[in-house]
Amino acid sequence: MESFIKRLFRLIPVLLGISIIVFLIISLTPGDPVQIMLGDQHVTPEMEQALREDMGLDLPIHERFIRFLYNASQGNFGRSFFHRRPVMEVILERLPATIELTFCSMMMAILVSIPLGVLAAVKKGTAYDRSSVVTAMVGVSMPGFWFGIILIIFFAIHLQWLPVSGRSTFSLRVPSVTGMLLIDTLLAGRLDSFLDAVKHLILPTVTLGMAMGATLMQVTRASMMEVLKQDYILFAEAKGLKRRRVTFLHALKNALIPTVTVAAIQTGQLLGGNMIIETVFGWPGVGSLVVRAIFNRNYPLVQAAVLIYVLIYVLMNFIADILYTVLNPRVRI
Amino acid sequence: MKKLIMLSVALCTLFLFNHPLFATGGDEIVIGFTSDALTMDPANHRARTTETILRDMYDGVVVRNNQMEVVPQIAESWKQLDTLTYEFVIRKGIKFHSGDPLTAEDIKFTFDRIIKEGQIDGQTSPRKSLLGSLKEVKILGPYKVRFILAEPWPVFPAFLPWQEVVSKKFVEKVGSKGLATQVNGTGPFKLVEWIRGNRIVMERFDGYYGGASAIPPVGKAKVDRVIWNIIPENASRVAALLSGDVDIINDVPSHSVRQIELNPNTKIMSANGTRSNFLVLNNTRPPFDNKKVRKAMCYAINTDLIIDKILNGNATRLNGILSPDAFGHNPDLYEYKYNPEKAKALLKEAGYPDGFKVELDVVASRKDLAEAVSANLADVGITAPVRVWEKSVIRPDWKKPEKKRDMYLTDWGNGSLDPVGLMTPVLRSGGRGNFSGYSNSKVDALIDKAVVEIDRKKRAAYYREAEAILNDDVPMVFLWLPREIYGVSNRIGGWQPKADSQINLHDAYIIK
Repeated sequence: MESFIKRLFRLIPVLLGISIIVFLIISLTPGDPVQIMLGDQHVTPEMEQALREDMGLDLPIHERFIRFLYNASQGNFGRSFFHRRPVMEVILERLPATIELTFCSMMMAILVSIPLGVLAAVKKGTAYDRSSVVTAMVGVSMPGFWFGIILIIFFAIHLQWLPVSGRSTFSLRVPSVTGMLLIDTLLAGRLDSFLDAVKHLILPTVTLGMAMGATLMQVTRASMMEVLKQDYILFAEAKGLKRRRVTFLHALKNALIPTVTVAAIQTGQLLGGNMIIETVFGWPGVGSLVVRAIFNRNYPLVQAAVLIYVLIYVLMNFIADILYTVLNPRVRI
Repeated sequence: MKKLIMLSVALCTLFLFNHPLFATGGDEIVIGFTSDALTMDPANHRARTTETILRDMYDGVVVRNNQMEVVPQIAESWKQLDTLTYEFVIRKGIKFHSGDPLTAEDIKFTFDRIIKEGQIDGQTSPRKSLLGSLKEVKILGPYKVRFILAEPWPVFPAFLPWQEVVSKKFVEKVGSKGLATQVNGTGPFKLVEWIRGNRIVMERFDGYYGGASAIPPVGKAKVDRVIWNIIPENASRVAALLSGDVDIINDVPSHSVRQIELNPNTKIMSANGTRSNFLVLNNTRPPFDNKKVRKAMCYAINTDLIIDKILNGNATRLNGILSPDAFGHNPDLYEYKYNPEKAKALLKEAGYPDGFKVELDVVASRKDLAEAVSANLADVGITAPVRVWEKSVIRPDWKKPEKKRDMYLTDWGNGSLDPVGLMTPVLRSGGRGNFSGYSNSKVDALIDKAVVEIDRKKRAAYYREAEAILNDDVPMVFLWLPREIYGVSNRIGGWQPKADSQINLHDAYIIK
């Protein structure tokens, strides 16, 4: 517990450092939000200046940064230039959709890739193993946006089984409680709405989970093959234990340590990958919001979103550390 | 046990794919739209796309018809009393969605909220500059208001369709924070649901007064419900139309036009846009400070071929900066027909027999167009490598008074379709968008005179004269006006795209 609190405190300099870097990068990137907002309208320089003051962009960069730090320390990340509301409000509205998609992709990746990886390691050298290695290679190398569009063309346009975009059908809507539709629809006791939400989730989840699953499978396979060579496995088999018991109880538990590390890092990356996949599938999450904010130079929104990404990333690594201790009691945090 | 699992899996799959998910009551039109509304408050944003969505729920004092003429909507009529005063008579019997009647009080409240400082929870409306010199709105009676300007601004009516009327009583009740998420307008549809970044659902307002009397048919909306699905990615939006998920999509990329046309259930509809495209030439230094060189550029570029092959014919050729729909457009301008020989001869006369080397700036979405232009220029001996930029980086650079670059293939939007929104910023000396650094006192004088001229005929004549001078001076190569392209399902009737990119669904219906 003590070490947990210590680790939490260590987060503070990390977040501070990241916020400085993000603030500097985005402020030094050429492009002026005032010009973007005014577009092609004919305005006088006074009108332009008034808008600049309204956005707080008339101050020199160091003053803006001090102001940002002061406000952020009080939980105020400023107002989105274009939504003209507090950025946290704008981001938090979108966060449940992103969490739902990321979680489902991660679950899909783990549930599919670990058994397949184990199987490939056990059946090393067979046709199954070789074909799974090739498939994993394809999965890792395939660009997500391209794969997503191929899935849309096949399942949405030709077969018309699944919807192209969005999260739910209007006629099957349920009241929002958590913002995560899989949970909300069950809370409302609506099976039809739940299945509708699942239908909308399938294509983005598969697209996002594909690359992660492929990597996890490769890692599981490699580490499993390593573990299967160990003496204690031989000993367990010599004892006459059943093959299945040896594989899943003795070998897999030890083989999972690298898989857990990779899964934690990948979940952080999934959030980044979300930006593209959310845009392709019109998924109303934080990713598609941030993409737009970057192009519009919506400084406050990008800053706050990056901080949230960092927090989640650090949190995922923390969870991975805890999982190590479960998998391998020799590890202490 | 195994059989039972198999059976339940099969049943689930059957249910998943064959459940009648779209069984809803009444007619419904689904739009696949590029971006979500930033807010539901018509006074607190500066995005055209947000306005497009809001305009189906909020009506304005005036509106543009499909021919882009400004006609009364909530107003019954208006007249201009002098250079500074406009008087509007408001229609009786108009109701907000809440059932409250609309009066002159609401009109005054709406405009005060925009033009007075700090009215939106301490913030000033970003739409203030769209009302130019409007100083005050005076109530003359329950259905009569007077708009008073601080200085003459003849284009006031052309800018008025951009403002939507809110209810004073409602805004005072819910505050600006409430108005950011709730709608109580006088438009044909009312807001039912808004899931940020995902969809906006509107339902027919049965107490609708019928809309602008100059735009038939007048009456309630024909469909029960309109759903706007937000799909930012082009390929996905097109896919949603082809699969039948949505009925109308905006902003169709020109390379998808054929795909939509070939699909038996969908078609392409388009309207003249309002963004004039041109090739900016840096007039402040050689070689483009020489008029002969600029003319050579006009002859060297095969505009018609580019429109035909790259834009798939979805653009109108321009010989001046104004759209053919714009006020003061001059139809008699000289057309610089593609003539590479003449271009070479002019270059020789100007002292560049072997051409020269310049850079051509462009944003990524126009790269293919720039490459075509560059290839044309290469044929007459001009080497013009294409340099791709991000818009928010290159545009401010070209806006600086000191011009350091050579050429820029770009555009300037003119939603008001009045030259004041295009000629003043782009071609008047020191204008905010005068990328080419062009300065001609004659043109400046004509533009300045036209801005304050009340007589519409005289105003138009000034602009025509200015366009004729510009057509000869060619500070930039005027290229084309891209059309606004929509993909539309064949089951939709009664809908027409508009040049101002508004999607008016009041008259749209489902063909049965």
